Amino acid sequence: MLRRTILAVLIAAVAASGVYWWLSLPAALALTAATRAPDLANGKEMFNAGGCSSCHAVPNQGDRLRLGGGLALASPFGTFYVPNISPDPNDGIGRWSESDFVNAVMRGIAPDGTHYFPAFPYTSYHLAKVDDVRDLFAYLRTLPAVQGRSRDHDIPFPFNIRRNIGIWKLLFMGTGSFVPDPSRSAQWNRGAYLVNAFGHCAECHSPRNSLGGIIRGERFAGGPNPDGEGWVPNITQKGIGTWSEKDIADFLETGDMPEGDSASGAMRPVIKNLAQLTAEDRAAMAAYLKSLPPVDGPTPPKRKEGS
Amino acid sequence: MKRTMIVASTLLLGAGAVMAQQEIAVQQDKLMRSQAKSLYTVIQKMTKGDIPYNQKQVDEAIANLEADVAKIAKTFEVNPKQDVVDATYGSSPKVWQQKADFDSKIPPVQKAIAEVKGKIKDVASLKAAYTSINDRCSDCHETYRLKLK
Repeated sequence: MLRRTILAVLIAAVAASGVYWWLSLPAALALTAATRAPDLANGKEMFNAGGCSSCHAVPNQGDRLRLGGGLALASPFGTFYVPNISPDPNDGIGRWSESDFVNAVMRGIAPDGTHYFPAFPYTSYHLAKVDDVRDLFAYLRTLPAVQGRSRDHDIPFPFNIRRNIGIWKLLFMGTGSFVPDPSRSAQWNRGAYLVNAFGHCAECHSPRNSLGGIIRGERFAGGPNPDGEGWVPNITQKGIGTWSEKDIADFLETGDMPEGDSASGAMRPVIKNLAQLTAEDRAAMAAYLKSLPPVDGPTPPKRKEGS
Repeated sequence: MKRTMIVASTLLLGAGAVMAQQEIAVQQDKLMRSQAKSLYTVIQKMTKGDIPYNQKQVDEAIANLEADVAKIAKTFEVNPKQDVVDATYGSSPKVWQQKADFDSKIPPVQKAIAEVKGKIKDVASLKAAYTSINDRCSDCHETYRLKLK
């Protein structure tokens, strides 16, 4: 009897690990051949919309195009150290194929087939058009090569098991591409695309559950700063209902708010990126953001603890 | 009786300390708000055409800004360990964890102000001045200013 029980438990364990293995398997995207030559100007636009520089530029030096990485990103799950994505062949992505890059950005899968941590916002980037990601790759290859690797992530067990991210992706990440809303204008759809795909605004401007997944019903409704201090504001009409479309577009360019103030914190580098976009793209983002229905987000804590 | 007095005075002292800390936070907030008034309520609004260009107001705003910026290091010497009640923005504890770095952000603001002082003659030069000053303010706000709600 005992033997039979042990056998049953063993079989169940093997089956469970088999299911785990299957569910957590990195699912790469099969890339079809390019239909056109890369458009570097579009790649640059996507680079600035995507905010690549805010995380990947070497910290504390003025050049936002030196993408040697190294920035420490604190999170409730540990500290991530941003990798080098400059074209350096040894320390950066100089030896990557286009397919490696597309899978990294849109599926969160490294060239060696392992999962990236979702601190890298592929959870938004999967909505991108493949051609835009190809253009971005071509643009990145024109930037200066920077030597040096950043240190390993400082992530404690069990979050450091990358295979678990496969399960996390099943729970919290879609893989579909952006679907335009035919009942809306072309401008609105362009804005929705930029905000939700490359802009990845919702990654900071939404509350997250205990596993770090975005709470879908409160998308864009603000929440605690993932970096630990302060609050990320609600950008639905609940939070910025008094801002006009033009106010939003102006803010995205200058950081100046209609109430007479200026963006602070992590939004500052975001503004530096968005200021480089075409005025049409900023206006499109503003048109989309202005259309977000008012949603109540979590309530900010009354007062921080003495520190 | 004695015991009651001791308890009462301890409570009063405690309340006094809390109030003093709140007072420090309020003073810091006031100093920043005064600069915001010069830079945003006057200068930024003029650059946007929300209010008409006025040379006297510009010169005053720049002078006030210069005086206020000079007070930042001293006013932020002590960590109040709390935010102003119901404030939308506050100071990051990092101000006091790395006060030397915080203080090092001040001279560039003063330099930006000194460079434009007396040279602003119209909306165009005001715009350029606004950007050069505000960029230096932002260099510090990026790390040390927190949005609280």
